[in-house]
Amino acid sequence: MKKILLLSLFSVSLLQWSCTDQCTETRKYKRYTSVSVSLADIRQGVRTESARDLINPGKIYTKGNYLFINELKEGLHVVDNSNPSAPKIISFIKIPGNGDMAVRGNILYADSYSDLVALDISNPLTIKEVGRENDVFTTGQFEGAWWGVNTLTGVINDQKMEIVTETVKTNCEGGGNGSWWGGVAFSAFDSRALQSSAPTSGSTANSQGQAGSMARFALYSNYLYTVGQNEMQLFDIRTPDKPRRSTKINVGRGIETIFPYKDKLFIGSTTGMFIYDNSNPERPEQLSVYQHAMSCDPVVVTDNRAYVTLRSGTTCNRGLNQLDVIDITDLRSPRLLKSYPMQNPHGLGVDFPNLFLCEGTHGLKSLNVANDFDVKQLQHLTGMDAYDVIPLSSKSLLMIGKDGFYQFDTSDPSNLRQLSKIPVKRVDI
Amino acid sequence: MKKLFLALLFTHALIYSFTLSAQHKPHYVNMTEVGGLFGRVVYDIPWSVPLSQQVENRLSLTIQTFNGVQLKPRLAVGLTTGLDWYNTALLTPIAAGVRYDLTRSKKDVALIGTLDAGYGFNWLHVNNTGYDTQGGMMLSPGIGLKFGFKSGSAMLLSLSYKRQEAKVTKPLGWGEIEKWEDRVYNRMALRFGFMF
Repeated sequence: MKKILLLSLFSVSLLQWSCTDQCTETRKYKRYTSVSVSLADIRQGVRTESARDLINPGKIYTKGNYLFINELKEGLHVVDNSNPSAPKIISFIKIPGNGDMAVRGNILYADSYSDLVALDISNPLTIKEVGRENDVFTTGQFEGAWWGVNTLTGVINDQKMEIVTETVKTNCEGGGNGSWWGGVAFSAFDSRALQSSAPTSGSTANSQGQAGSMARFALYSNYLYTVGQNEMQLFDIRTPDKPRRSTKINVGRGIETIFPYKDKLFIGSTTGMFIYDNSNPERPEQLSVYQHAMSCDPVVVTDNRAYVTLRSGTTCNRGLNQLDVIDITDLRSPRLLKSYPMQNPHGLGVDFPNLFLCEGTHGLKSLNVANDFDVKQLQHLTGMDAYDVIPLSSKSLLMIGKDGFYQFDTSDPSNLRQLSKIPVKRVDI
Repeated sequence: MKKLFLALLFTHALIYSFTLSAQHKPHYVNMTEVGGLFGRVVYDIPWSVPLSQQVENRLSLTIQTFNGVQLKPRLAVGLTTGLDWYNTALLTPIAAGVRYDLTRSKKDVALIGTLDAGYGFNWLHVNNTGYDTQGGMMLSPGIGLKFGFKSGSAMLLSLSYKRQEAKVTKPLGWGEIEKWEDRVYNRMALRFGFMF
């Protein structure tokens, strides 16, 4: 009896030694570290490699039966999409520092940090570099990490983004202030192509591809238009494989996208939408500015309506989450018709009267915009990540998200049918 | 009402007398206790160089009630529910419980062993904006003293160890993708209560 008493007292008191709350806070965040890349290496770096998995996809671009999916900073996946139900990655074009692309005929234009590269894609299995214009872009960013070029030393100063997991012991009072644990000084700008547009039919001769409107590259007439942070750089592509730098136009601050529609250019920035008249393709002229609250804003245009989404997010602090319908009948004075609240709108694409809107982690929405003042939601697909869409005239929809590349049949806009999915093989996130 | 109470008392007394007899009949038993969860926490002071740690004492309110069946004269099994009011989490543990008389004493005072194992739920917890608190597994072994009354009821004094897990997901700051806190509350529970 005494033994039992002593034994149990002893064991219970032993346990009391460990009466310390054990709390750990784990956080995953993006860390940016500086890296230098020599221009010489970059200029040697373009080559065709065997197909690989999607890891960190960016913008998408479609041309004929082929699809190009950007792998941020790495290059382009070439996808044979002759059968949308079974797309096949056939090769990978390695282009260091690549984020944007545009295709006309058999020539693909892509950025490679500071350079513009022209590639011959007549045989997608052996893509060759045919032209290059050096030192045309001075700065840019991927996933919030900025790079800049130093032409004197021939070095690109870039930042590498890593996902870091950190664990600290806390006082178990998790109701505290999150900023305690500090933040990374850089904002997490999303450099992905977040926006998209309907086919810009009948723009020019020579078959050219379709991009999202967030694309910083646009083709019109004999020119390739590229937008940087605050200026628009034109390239003369009369000789398709030898792009030559042309006019440079100062636009404003925080330029994000360029969207050509008929003979107009719609430029999206963090502060508003700029409308340029492009009847003289060599010298686009500003017609008007439509200003809105500081926020991230893709633009798509169809006929006399522009659709702009505003979203909140780390870099778009004051952002609201909404869809704006804008009357652009008079291009000199765009007029807001109505705003619709949304969850977290990213890219959008219009195939009048249907509008497809990416809601980020909230999925994809199919809307009917026939009536400006009564936009109806037809369907909301969830359980997927949606960033960017391209609606095609063949009643199909291309969509890229963090978790994969999807294709939908949109013949019934209230019942989208998934045709295929190329999954993203991602280690983190 | 009084009659009913008396009747209940009577049956209890009756049952109690049965438990003393060799032929034991299972009966209902309730143990309700209130007390404190004593412990401390050692944590890293953020951004301190070199890394230094701080120690703080912790005391939380705990209420618990055991409802079960006295299966054998010395063994009772049942369901333990209660409330544990940690500083930033109000948890409701629901557990399977065992109470066992360690001593076969004829005296009024007996030593009992207790064991509760279950899950602490967040039903009554209210979160700050952006936070999400989830409960977790709970384990609590201990010992206690039972001071029996003539009526058949008893007064309880118990000392037990309590391990309670919890998880809190937190709002994200700049550049953050995911943030959460894993908690293990290790506490010494000192309780006082009654059994009938």
